[in-house]
Amino acid sequence: MSTITANTLVAMQHLNKVYPNGTVAVQNVNLDISEGEFFCFVGPSGCGKSTIFKMITGLETHTEGKLDIFGMSPNAARKKNEVAFVFQDHTLMPWATVKENVCLPLNLRGVSKKQQIEEAERVLELVGLQDTMMMLPRELSGGMKMRVSIARALISRPRLLLMDEPFGALDEITRQSLQQELLHIWQQDRSMTVLFITHNVFEAVYLSTKVVVMTPRPGKVESVVEIPTPFPRGDAFRTTPEFSRLVGVVSQHLKHG
Amino acid sequence: MAMDKKALYLGPAKRRIRLPFLSGLSGMNRTGGSLLSSLLPPVVALIVFVGGWQLFGILSGIPAYILPKPTDILEAGIKNHVNLFNSVYKTMSSALIGFILSVIFGVAGAILLASSKLVEKSLYPYVIILQTIPIIAIAPIIVIWFGAGTNAIVIIAFLIGFFPMLSNTLVGLNSTENNLKNLFFLYNANPIQTMWKLRIPAALPYIVAGLKISCTLAVIGVIAGEYIAGIGGGKGGLGYAITVAASRLQTAYLFACGLAASVMGIGFYLVINYISKKLLSSWHESEMKH
Repeated sequence: MSTITANTLVAMQHLNKVYPNGTVAVQNVNLDISEGEFFCFVGPSGCGKSTIFKMITGLETHTEGKLDIFGMSPNAARKKNEVAFVFQDHTLMPWATVKENVCLPLNLRGVSKKQQIEEAERVLELVGLQDTMMMLPRELSGGMKMRVSIARALISRPRLLLMDEPFGALDEITRQSLQQELLHIWQQDRSMTVLFITHNVFEAVYLSTKVVVMTPRPGKVESVVEIPTPFPRGDAFRTTPEFSRLVGVVSQHLKHG
Repeated sequence: MAMDKKALYLGPAKRRIRLPFLSGLSGMNRTGGSLLSSLLPPVVALIVFVGGWQLFGILSGIPAYILPKPTDILEAGIKNHVNLFNSVYKTMSSALIGFILSVIFGVAGAILLASSKLVEKSLYPYVIILQTIPIIAIAPIIVIWFGAGTNAIVIIAFLIGFFPMLSNTLVGLNSTENNLKNLFFLYNANPIQTMWKLRIPAALPYIVAGLKISCTLAVIGVIAGEYIAGIGGGKGGLGYAITVAASRLQTAYLFACGLAASVMGIGFYLVINYISKKLLSSWHESEMKH
């Protein structure tokens, strides 16, 4: 399974994470994620999805095995400013305007004010919020806050985008429209690789090129299900027999774990 | 009905009177009717209390040097108004300087302690110990070191306001939301950026709470300082006026000074409260208009 090719972006080999108290969070994970893929990680709570993300970002270190991002260590990869993040919580600074929030990654890197504003305009337009530049987060709805959060992640034109249950707290209608927008943004420029954590099997099948099914205690990869349906996928995809079949396959794997 | 409507209509101008200073006292609504209904009970209570006190003073025949009547206090205040205003001015300016110093050093100290766990662990216990020593015990030492006068008074006011500023700011700096801290880490922010762009703004509500405590403490600190340091010098402040009035049994003036001190403290607090609203009202729940 671990055949590292030239365009492998993230490579995990025999990856283990054992916490000091003995809890095995992740056990023997082998995954190769190529450039331009949309990987969804599905599984119940405690299956190690978030731990894998934390190891990729360098918030946690793995205890065994190998983890390479862009062919280097997670900490070195993070320093290249090509990895971006969206959390379940929008994590916007409540005292800062939408513009200031969106510009944060560039601001921290010391990019010129002029370029920051140009880029902010670009990404806010991508998420359909160009008129909210000067607004404060509390003036926005939950869905809009999440859009701002996505815009902030996109501003640095990341090669790797990590999303940890970003739509988990949203209502179904907002969730579906954001899923579509996300796919739209990702398709425009397939050089961006997305890793996406979700509890929701439907969401995983709709979005991804591959679904990683994980099982808990210890966190293991049960299987990787390929979703061959071509893009663009419209809302109609959600009602096709193919969609139901794939949801069934992923659900079966989840149960077997 | 038409008559009633006219009678009830007080005019838009009156209703729009905004009392931003007062709103901090009880969170009252600013609309005409409810303003009246929320102001009326305390005003009535005050009138009953002051009137009762006056009546008691007249009927009981207790001499004014033991319990002055409200009219005696007013008279003493008016008669000595030049001295009283000078004292208030003197105390106010010392309190303001002491307060500003406690804010600067309190916030700077907290930033220093918060920037390294090691520094915080090694120094914070001593800061607490320092705080537990009563100011009255330290004051004479300060007078010995800095001489009786304004310097010592300002330092006492500074010391009393310093700790609430420091501890509040420190708690604020240490309670930044974890997700936001992770975000800054993931975007490779250095410690200085994290401090200035994240931890300090996030601590602002705590800093403001510290300001509110320290501003009233500064007034108390100055009066206590004048009480102790005023004897050998530093003449003119309220604390000094109080000691002199007490030694001369000018009880009515003593009351007037006490009253002036508390009015000053309230005024100081309301100004700080107003500033805090300006700083936080746009984003923090504690100061949002509902």
